[in-house]
Amino acid sequence: MKHIKTLNTLQSTLKKGGCGECQTSVGNQTCEQSK
Amino acid sequence: MIHQYKNNGYNIVLDVNSGSVHVVDELVYEVIGLLLRKCPERKIAQTMRRIVQEVEGRSDTEEQGGACADEPGQAVVEAKEKAQDGSGALPGTNLLTEIMEELITKYPADEIGEALQECRMLADAGVLFTEDVYENAITDYKARKTVVKALCLHIAHDCNLACKYCFAEEGEYHGRRALMSFEVGKKALDFLIANSGDRRNLEVDFFGGEPLMNWQVVKDLVAYGREQEKLHGKNFRFTLTTNGVLLNDEIMEFCNREMANVVLSVDGRKEVHDRMRPFRGGKGSYDLILPKFKRFADSRGQQKYYVRGTFTHYNLDFANDVLHLADEGFDQISVEPVVASATEDYALREEDLPTIFAEYDKLAAEMVKREKEGRGFTFFHYMIDLSGGPCVYKRLSGCGSGTEYLAVTPWGDLYPCHQFVGIDKYLMGNVDEGITKPEIVDEFKCCNVYTKEKCRSCFAKFYCSGGCAANSYNFHGTIQDAYDIGCELQRKRVECAIMIKAALAE
Repeated sequence: MKHIKTLNTLQSTLKKGGCGECQTSVGNQTCEQSK
Repeated sequence: MIHQYKNNGYNIVLDVNSGSVHVVDELVYEVIGLLLRKCPERKIAQTMRRIVQEVEGRSDTEEQGGACADEPGQAVVEAKEKAQDGSGALPGTNLLTEIMEELITKYPADEIGEALQECRMLADAGVLFTEDVYENAITDYKARKTVVKALCLHIAHDCNLACKYCFAEEGEYHGRRALMSFEVGKKALDFLIANSGDRRNLEVDFFGGEPLMNWQVVKDLVAYGREQEKLHGKNFRFTLTTNGVLLNDEIMEFCNREMANVVLSVDGRKEVHDRMRPFRGGKGSYDLILPKFKRFADSRGQQKYYVRGTFTHYNLDFANDVLHLADEGFDQISVEPVVASATEDYALREEDLPTIFAEYDKLAAEMVKREKEGRGFTFFHYMIDLSGGPCVYKRLSGCGSGTEYLAVTPWGDLYPCHQFVGIDKYLMGNVDEGITKPEIVDEFKCCNVYTKEKCRSCFAKFYCSGGCAANSYNFHGTIQDAYDIGCELQRKRVECAIMIKAALAE
């Protein structure tokens, strides 16, 4: 794109998220599932 | 929801509901601003498609037939003509003409068309002008049965310093001095295991007061935890916060073996630190603790620790304290705003905000510079993960205080978190009987960004999760509100953190 640069590639976590194994905190947490 | 802002020469557009961050040129920045001003946000994505069809010179029929034009078409020419002869200013003219009218004196018409096309492509990809689809999901998620996964053990309600801003009042938490016994700590770990369901990763933070004033019990509880985790298929993550006064080689060696993270309290420059963190006799503590902290950080390979300071009304130039700590060789740094009643002379005030904002900007720009020079460091409040990060459930439900995370006093009482300790209304049980007031758990369960009016419309809600319940309670008497100065600072920090990502992505 000529005018816009997108830095990242949330709604996709609606189905798979919510396992709760992540550390207590939020903006930079690591998702245990994605390790 | 869109949040667009300029920082350090970057034009940034945050699509809040998808979390997508776009760095845009001046033209797109203006186009998005115009769309937001002239069209209800919930209709923008749909309107965008219609506008771009016009730009590409297509009708709805052609669109359905799959025709695709690469160049802005006749509609742009017509809109440009309308804009130039003033006829586009008449009521009822279409949005494309209005956009052209505003921008045609600054940008070529075909570039305006291109900008609109790019915005539309992002909208179609679900990363711009996205809708909020989370409210029902988070309501269901919060209604589920929760388990306990973290405890803050108040291993010592006593302290060898007399820090002026300490919410624990020299470690005593509005009560009496006390040290946690091994027996109480053991029951706390048993309570955690028994109430953690099938959760494997469990966290135990040794907190105070000053935990090193009860060091033998810390070591004994770690040993007990290691024994129990094998029996129950759990994984304990132990952490410790210390003021450093009693730190020695034996403690460092133990922590390097057993503690997943250590927090070392230091405020920054010597005069800043000593003003707020004296011994009870009034002497400053900087000279004693700093050399030990430097050795400790190095012994951990400059990882899995934070030097953690507090800034107050007396050091609004706190970026200098952050940089001082970086120059002293620390790589993991947090310097955070004091939270105090407005009656305290060191409290932050609303009139301090512009100064603090400028300081955050200055710090962010300096961090970019140092990172590019190969001498970067981590600043806790600028840590943000744009490519991974937690799921939306975690982002919206917050820290888990009162539900997944509880604090334990030296005598075994349970509170929603360390900042609620000593507030009788929030005493929710004890390690012998467990939770005796489930209504407190329910109160915290029902607390999320959709139940707080201030949070619903805030662009930072996915990075903040609704703020600190204790701060809300202390300033508004309810956990269902938000501490306003804290919100202002959080928003500013999110903006700076995203800018740093943009600058380093070049």
